[in-house]
Amino acid sequence: MLGPISPAAPGSLYQQIVDGLKREISEGRVTAGAPLPSFRVLAEDLLVSVITVKRAYEELEREGIIYRRQGLGTFVADHGLDRSRTAKLNTARDLIRQAAREAAEAGLTPSETLALARQLIQGT
Amino acid sequence: MHDSAIEIRGLTKAYHRFQLGPLDLTVPRGAIYALIGPNGAGKTTALDLILGLGRNDAGEIRVFGLDHQRDGVAIKRRVGYVGPELNFECWGTVGRTLRFVRGFYPDWDDAYCAELMHRLALAPGEAIAPLSFGAKTKLSLLLALSHRPELLILDEPTTGLDAVSKQQVFAELLKTVEAGDRTVLISSHALTDLERFADHVALIKAGQLLLHGRMDAVVERFRLAEFFMAQGQDLPARSGLTVLRQDGNRWQAVLDQAQDVPGWLQSRGVQQLTLTPMTLEDLFVALVREKEAA
Repeated sequence: MLGPISPAAPGSLYQQIVDGLKREISEGRVTAGAPLPSFRVLAEDLLVSVITVKRAYEELEREGIIYRRQGLGTFVADHGLDRSRTAKLNTARDLIRQAAREAAEAGLTPSETLALARQLIQGT
Repeated sequence: MHDSAIEIRGLTKAYHRFQLGPLDLTVPRGAIYALIGPNGAGKTTALDLILGLGRNDAGEIRVFGLDHQRDGVAIKRRVGYVGPELNFECWGTVGRTLRFVRGFYPDWDDAYCAELMHRLALAPGEAIAPLSFGAKTKLSLLLALSHRPELLILDEPTTGLDAVSKQQVFAELLKTVEAGDRTVLISSHALTDLERFADHVALIKAGQLLLHGRMDAVVERFRLAEFFMAQGQDLPARSGLTVLRQDGNRWQAVLDQAQDVPGWLQSRGVQQLTLTPMTLEDLFVALVREKEAA
């Protein structure tokens, strides 16, 4: 249910799980109220340590994207979708800022950077 | 129920040219615990003593709260062991090996054994002699797991295995701890795999514990530091900073973030300090080398 987790991908393994679950939620493949696998089951599934998954779940819980019910399991929160989208939006904002900085360092004017962005977005 | 699977206190064992300990170690329940260290660090000695193979000079080993020698039989019923020696040839076939080992364990689970056998691609009729090294390791794992031990101890089980077999072994270990009440203690040199699969880690060197804790906490605690310092200046030795190399005014060191080393470096005129995360393997090499140099 989650994309592959690899030490070769950027970010620590636990961060990749956090990002992967946010992606599943923001793209609607996992909906509010849906149960998530226990962290031990997910660990086995992704071939990572239990502590890695536990840490990812704890972070998602802190961000209000998932919640835990003692004895019942872990579920996607009602606000999970909004929160995941907010998180995605923040990431997009950071990346755009970074792109603007790189473009400026490469000698592009702001309008040239915008033109480039338009061209790339329409190309995808 | 005891929270820890194994508790070791003040354990020592001396041989002609080697001493283990005094060693204190607690292996919590329900997790994969990695014991790492260079060759000759005392990993096998420690594991053997836990299993009652050999007598300790001093100290205490408790497995599920039981004394490792007085309650040896009760402990062995609840423990599975995969060692580095895989001599099963004398039994002829997989099935005969299973029947022999089965007799020692009242809790042997035939259905589980059959399921594992299928997953590990072994068959009762198979002859032992032509089995590959990987298949023999899997047989050893099968024998150790079929009585559903609460504690599984593995001494370098993946040395010499190909990547596929290695991953199968680790997947089986994750399955073992899946329910949360079983514990795995593994000694291995497969550091990249351990960083991914193990929950806790202990590093021993020359019989002494250098470092232990949760895998993520241990790995994140240390950074590879690079910095510049005016030529001719020197840094006094201090804890939390292990200099790896110095080339002119450029320095590389391992930095322990549990201590305020950056502040100390700055006060000594160090410039352009950059910190890079390290893998377990980087850390292992750096810390093991340092102690050799010291």
